[in-house]
Amino acid sequence: MELFLQRLVDGLSEGSVYALIALGLVIIYRGTGHLNFAQGEMALFSTYVVYQFGEWGIPIGIAVVLGMAVGFTLGAATEVAIVRPISKKSPFAVFIVTIGLFQLLNWFDGAIWGGQQLPNSGVGSKQVRFPSLFPNAPTDFVTIFGANIKVQSLGVIGLVAVLTVALFAIFNHTRLGLAMRAVAANGDSANLVGIRTGRVLMASWGLAAAIGALGGVVFAGINTNVNLGLMFTVFIYASAAATLGGFDSPGGAVIGGFSIGIIQNMAAGYAPKWIGQEMKVGVAFLVMLGVLLVRPSGLFGTSRVERV
Amino acid sequence: MTLLRAQGLTAGYGPVTVLHEIDIEVNEGEIVVVLGANGAGKTTTMRAISGTIPRHGTIEFQGHSIQKAAADAIVRAGVAQVPQGRGTFPELSVQDNLLAGAYVRRDGSKAIGDDIRKWFSVFPRLEERATQRAGSLSGGEQQMLAIARALMSRPKLLLCDEPSMGLAPLITQELFNVIGRLNREEGLSVLLVEQNANLAMHMASRVYLLETGVIVASGSAAELSADDSIRKAYLGF
Ligand SMILES: Nc1ncnc2c1ncn2[C@@H]1O[C@H](COP(=O)(O)OP(=O)(O)OP(=O)(O)O)[C@@H](O)[C@H]1O
Ligand SMILES: [Mg+2]
Repeated sequence: MELFLQRLVDGLSEGSVYALIALGLVIIYRGTGHLNFAQGEMALFSTYVVYQFGEWGIPIGIAVVLGMAVGFTLGAATEVAIVRPISKKSPFAVFIVTIGLFQLLNWFDGAIWGGQQLPNSGVGSKQVRFPSLFPNAPTDFVTIFGANIKVQSLGVIGLVAVLTVALFAIFNHTRLGLAMRAVAANGDSANLVGIRTGRVLMASWGLAAAIGALGGVVFAGINTNVNLGLMFTVFIYASAAATLGGFDSPGGAVIGGFSIGIIQNMAAGYAPKWIGQEMKVGVAFLVMLGVLLVRPSGLFGTSRVERV
Repeated sequence: MTLLRAQGLTAGYGPVTVLHEIDIEVNEGEIVVVLGANGAGKTTTMRAISGTIPRHGTIEFQGHSIQKAAADAIVRAGVAQVPQGRGTFPELSVQDNLLAGAYVRRDGSKAIGDDIRKWFSVFPRLEERATQRAGSLSGGEQQMLAIARALMSRPKLLLCDEPSMGLAPLITQELFNVIGRLNREEGLSVLLVEQNANLAMHMASRVYLLETGVIVASGSAAELSADDSIRKAYLGF
């Protein structure tokens, strides 16, 4: 029972990172129909920026807010300067360009913070210690039903829960949220009611990158360090989470993220020894595959009705 | 007084020019109907006026040039378009569709709420489905929603592109009655594209005939239906 609880909480706290990255993927996909392959690397860049702010003596809390602002700017600038002009010519090219951006950002991080690794060789890259947002000494735990739960895990889960609620309030009860939903539903019509679709898309990319920045910081905090490969697997799990929840459903992304986190930790915990830790990845994919076979649009996604 | 004046309006898509220097005017309080065969350029005319495609020539609305204005600025100036094929926001509720229609307004949620109630009383079927996704409405209901959404911006000029498309005759009649009433009671000016020429001619102040991107005839409904060749070609009797 204690072990189960511990694994559940670990799964939730890792899952909350997947949820954040997946939320970013979904926000961008809903707005522009693009899969942003660089979502994880944008988050990593912002995470390094937060690390740098920390090195300069800025308290972690403030550094995170600043890092999210940097993330927002990076995302918004990417939409305006790269995605928009290219998607006019070829929507498919955007996907390729985000792959390029993935490489570029990782190379850039490496050049500044990561030592002299070759690009994309996250393995073995220089690790730098990363501060946790929450108390994370070996003694910082609370005992619940006999299980020792890290304060950090509870903090992470709480933070992500609050952020998710705030995001949904923005989606459903603000002018920007209405505009984002309208653009996602029908861009041409959004234009016709006077919504500046360009600004909304810029804000969507910015918001996605800012949320991603928080995801990166949280994950680096759980890991206690940041390195060039930090977001590789996170991005893959987040993509799985978004696919599982439905690529056009923010709620689905959050639930998908938590589910993947839990499934992965349970599988790693309860699998027979001879299967080993690598099994973690496999189980998440089996679940995703199963869902896709039964519901191609994901658990909470809508299979879009073709527009006339 | 002239509300909308387009002169030498030329527009198209990329390298293709569809409209060739057409002149169109809508005076305050008028219902102006544009007739034309499929592909004549009626929808393109609407898009050129609403600023959703690039265009050349002069377009003035209430005496101010809107030729260079972006689509959202044109909505703010008081021109709302009901696109062909409805173009509602399928994933949004009926209520949110109407709220989105009021996006450019700055007169507060109370006034906007009053307007939503007003259009609900005009289209009671929308009220019954207020919280339902727009995509789940029937074609006729979506058309009503599209018109109500456009009116939520409180336009002076409504651009209405084939509102009767795919609707039962009775519903079409009902929709046209509403448009006529808004015109009489609230002074709403309308530029109407319609395949159902007979019905449209009844309420038209003036009519333009569009043929492959050129205006080939214009005048009052009576004048145009007096012309035998036009009557045969467009009115079918
Ligand atoms: N998005 C587009 N891209 C390229 N060409 C277009 C586009 N939309 C319309 N056209 C072309 O412009 C011409 C006029 O089209 P338009 O939609 O204005 O006709 P219409 O009079 O509204 O016809 P309908 O009665 O069928 O709605 C057509 O030849 C069409 O092929
Ligand atoms: Mg048309």
